[in-house]
Amino acid sequence: MALAKDKVGIISCSGEDLPEGTISRVATRIVLEKLRPDDTVTICLPLFLAGSEDERAFARVFPTIAVDGCSKKCAETGTKKFSGKPVATIVVSEIMKKYPSLKVKSKEKLSPEEMELARKVAEEIAKKVDEILCKKIK
Amino acid sequence: MVDENKVAIIACAGMDKALGSIARTCAFKIVEKLRPNETVLICIPPLVADVKPHSELIKKNSVITIDGCTERCATKIASKNGAKIKGRVFVPQSAQKYGLKPNTASDIGPEGEKLAEKIAEETVLLIDKILGK
Repeated sequence: MALAKDKVGIISCSGEDLPEGTISRVATRIVLEKLRPDDTVTICLPLFLAGSEDERAFARVFPTIAVDGCSKKCAETGTKKFSGKPVATIVVSEIMKKYPSLKVKSKEKLSPEEMELARKVAEEIAKKVDEILCKKIK
Repeated sequence: MVDENKVAIIACAGMDKALGSIARTCAFKIVEKLRPNETVLICIPPLVADVKPHSELIKKNSVITIDGCTERCATKIASKNGAKIKGRVFVPQSAQKYGLKPNTASDIGPEGEKLAEKIAEETVLLIDKILGK
């Protein structure tokens, strides 16, 4: 009998307020489309917050990672409020401290430097996905 | 302190649909390029997390919502949080009207850019009307 493969739900800040929000969004898409396409799904934060029972039920049953742009941690707060605490939270502004040479200022289209930061954040998310799925196998 | 005469824009953030990305791009075009002094962009998640001043601002200022799909999350969330909604923009309807199709949520492509511009221009007319210009 084949068991359903576990998926990790990525809930990203939509970030219209700060460039870090755009980084979190782009990083999430890199994970979904390139780094871990078979292991992840996205949960649309506005849809989740607006009351979609499908999105909320998924986040209750499957592990989730909140990807927040800033310390307000809206994605984490929203997930906790409606489904349960995310297994991990990644905060872009915290990761940026590790790469002081990479500056962000665009909210719309990312520069090559900003894309590099998005890739770094995506790698951190992918690492968390691997940790979560490995933990579950054990 | 945000001027109460500014129109607040609340747009779908569209993580999983190309038309959601159009809504977001369109909001940036309005707030950063077309009407930077007359509008303010409101991020959806802080509204639900009750982060101030976002939650107070939408009750005082006129609001335009931009929705990317039939779920109409931007409008639902604005309405639930007591926003003074003065206008609603529905991206799928505009996409049909102009016959323009974006590529993907990650890359809206040239047609998507053009569609976002067209919708932004239409929304600006609504903003001017609300502000009595």
